[in-house]
Amino acid sequence: MDIIKVGIPRALLYYQYYPMWESFFEKLGAEVVVSPLTNKAILNLGVTRAVADTCLPIKLFLGHVISLIDKCDYIFAPTVISLGRKAYNCSKIIGLPNMTRALIPECPVILAPEINLEKWRYHVYQNIYKLGSCFTSNPFKIKKAVEEAWKSNLAYRSKMAHEGITCPEAINRMCQTNQQLDSNCYPSPILTIAVIGHPYVLYDDYLNHRLISRLKSMGVKVLVPEMAAEEELDIAAKKMVGTPHWSFETDIVGAGEYYMEEKVDGIINLSVFGCGPDSMMVDFVKHRAREFGIPFLALSLDEHASEGGVLTRLEAFLDMIKRRNRICV
Amino acid sequence: MRLGIPHFGNVYVAVKAMARRLGATGKDIIIPPPMTQGTLDLGVKYSPTEACLPYKLTLGSLIEACELGADTLAQARGTGICRLGYYARGQEQMLRDLGYNAQFITVDISHHKIISIMQLIRNMTNNASWKEIISAFFFGIGKLAAIDKVEKVVQEIRAVEIEKGMANRMYREAIKGIDDASDSREVKRISREYIGMLRKIPKNPQADPVKVAIVGEIYVVIEPFSNMDIEIELGKLGVEVHRTMTLSRWVKYSLFLNYLGVDEWKQVHKLAKPYLDHDVGGDGWESVGEKVLYTRKGYDGLVHLAPFTCMPEIVAQNIMPSTREDIPVLTVICDEQMAKQGLLTRLEAFVDLLRFRRRR
Repeated sequence: MDIIKVGIPRALLYYQYYPMWESFFEKLGAEVVVSPLTNKAILNLGVTRAVADTCLPIKLFLGHVISLIDKCDYIFAPTVISLGRKAYNCSKIIGLPNMTRALIPECPVILAPEINLEKWRYHVYQNIYKLGSCFTSNPFKIKKAVEEAWKSNLAYRSKMAHEGITCPEAINRMCQTNQQLDSNCYPSPILTIAVIGHPYVLYDDYLNHRLISRLKSMGVKVLVPEMAAEEELDIAAKKMVGTPHWSFETDIVGAGEYYMEEKVDGIINLSVFGCGPDSMMVDFVKHRAREFGIPFLALSLDEHASEGGVLTRLEAFLDMIKRRNRICV
Repeated sequence: MRLGIPHFGNVYVAVKAMARRLGATGKDIIIPPPMTQGTLDLGVKYSPTEACLPYKLTLGSLIEACELGADTLAQARGTGICRLGYYARGQEQMLRDLGYNAQFITVDISHHKIISIMQLIRNMTNNASWKEIISAFFFGIGKLAAIDKVEKVVQEIRAVEIEKGMANRMYREAIKGIDDASDSREVKRISREYIGMLRKIPKNPQADPVKVAIVGEIYVVIEPFSNMDIEIELGKLGVEVHRTMTLSRWVKYSLFLNYLGVDEWKQVHKLAKPYLDHDVGGDGWESVGEKVLYTRKGYDGLVHLAPFTCMPEIVAQNIMPSTREDIPVLTVICDEQMAKQGLLTRLEAFVDLLRFRRRR
């Protein structure tokens, strides 16, 4: 029998959960195919399919799915509804498998297990079991794969928090993917700046014009939400807005509050145009930054953002902080 | 205490009625002036750039209420998937920054709706008796139901009346009359009278109105200012408009019947299942289901209203074209950049398309 190939688009939740997914599918004896790094062709493929108002990460996701057609038997795109009590995800993430099916009719079968922690645990187990049974009829094998997957998820989170590395770096160390390694030599940092945003914006180098490595080469120590432990982010987020209604916003507001208390030199928010949750939550972070007296830069990206514009604003922001801190340049 | 509320359709009629029943004078309840471009400008100026239109409009409306001296403001809250959950929080912060010293009270509309509303009224009336509160509450929603009943007739008449604008004039008078009425019997009488008068408006015997349903996000569907009176404009073009979503329906089901296990959207959700299999927040699921429903009912077209960047409606908009049940859908995105002429041109083209399809 041929090995079943599962395609995972390198977009959206990939950055947060890839090691978990990979070990799950590999333990079940499937082969994981990851779509290539984002490039212009992929973006264009996605942009032509979706309605214009759809946010960029969703368009990118569609582009990645299209690039996986013919390369795999299944596409994995979980329906992540809720990751905690009274916390949901953005509508577009919840509706993602349905949207993909509607917009890309030629797409291979989509595996979309429903993850909804608002319901009781058994419901989630049942859905994961159903997913596993597409590959094997042996329930013990599925159980083993789930345990293994969860273990690698925990290892992944703690690796990022303890070693202070970003998602792609951690994925690189843990898994065999063709993510580019950033092996440049950077000047020793003179500023510390927290960059907050969704992982799929922060780590997609095509989308954000290599913002993180650019900052590093300008002599900045970059802190991202994943470098803080999850519990600390939860506590910090509670301090600012209570428990956020959107699961993925906890990382953003939590990191904002947490790093502001750590007295970083500045905060950069990377968001994409039309992001619903960000449009509300970032305003709270901005307000709080004003109270702390910490410089705050909000960069909004879309498919038209030009590299030059982003760069100019970054340089101006850094110059402003340096002048403020009286660092001679 | 001087309570200010943001505008949302005819909610003000109900609030005014309840307050008056509970012995509040005109000073205790502050209804901001009807929304204008000025309200929108105010809201846009002080909102996050990418917030959605209902946020901006309600903020503008609340600022106007504060200007008139409101010291307590009411706003909806909820734990949902869409931005509504953070309206009150963001607006409260903004009003404080602007120097208004208003206290925010929030009505939970996702859990314990009825309890939350009752408790709120009780707190505001210094513990009036439950009997009084309940009778005032029913008086208020009775007015809403009466207005919606008149509106249903208006939507039919607008399409076929000979002298355009008569139905609208009567509708406005009816709202005024119902608003001024002081007991339930009078409310019923007024609504019956106006429905009778509306039915007598001379109709064009040759008129063959195309039938269009309006679906979408609840605020822009119900508040005429936010959708630039789209129903009136469609009526002028000879279109019979149908809209499932009304305030009285929301009250009836969300506040009462849902607790008894009656789900008003059950059929719609079932129809949406093949294309969208779970709730995506807001009214996205319903929009997809209603497209299927109205196609089966033989409607000619669908107008889909959504605020700019509304998350659930974007999901719906992406999915709608792929349904097997196929009728023309005109998606109108509402935001502060919208212009009346542009809307009219699109509506005319859409109605022409529907007429053409029908003739074929």
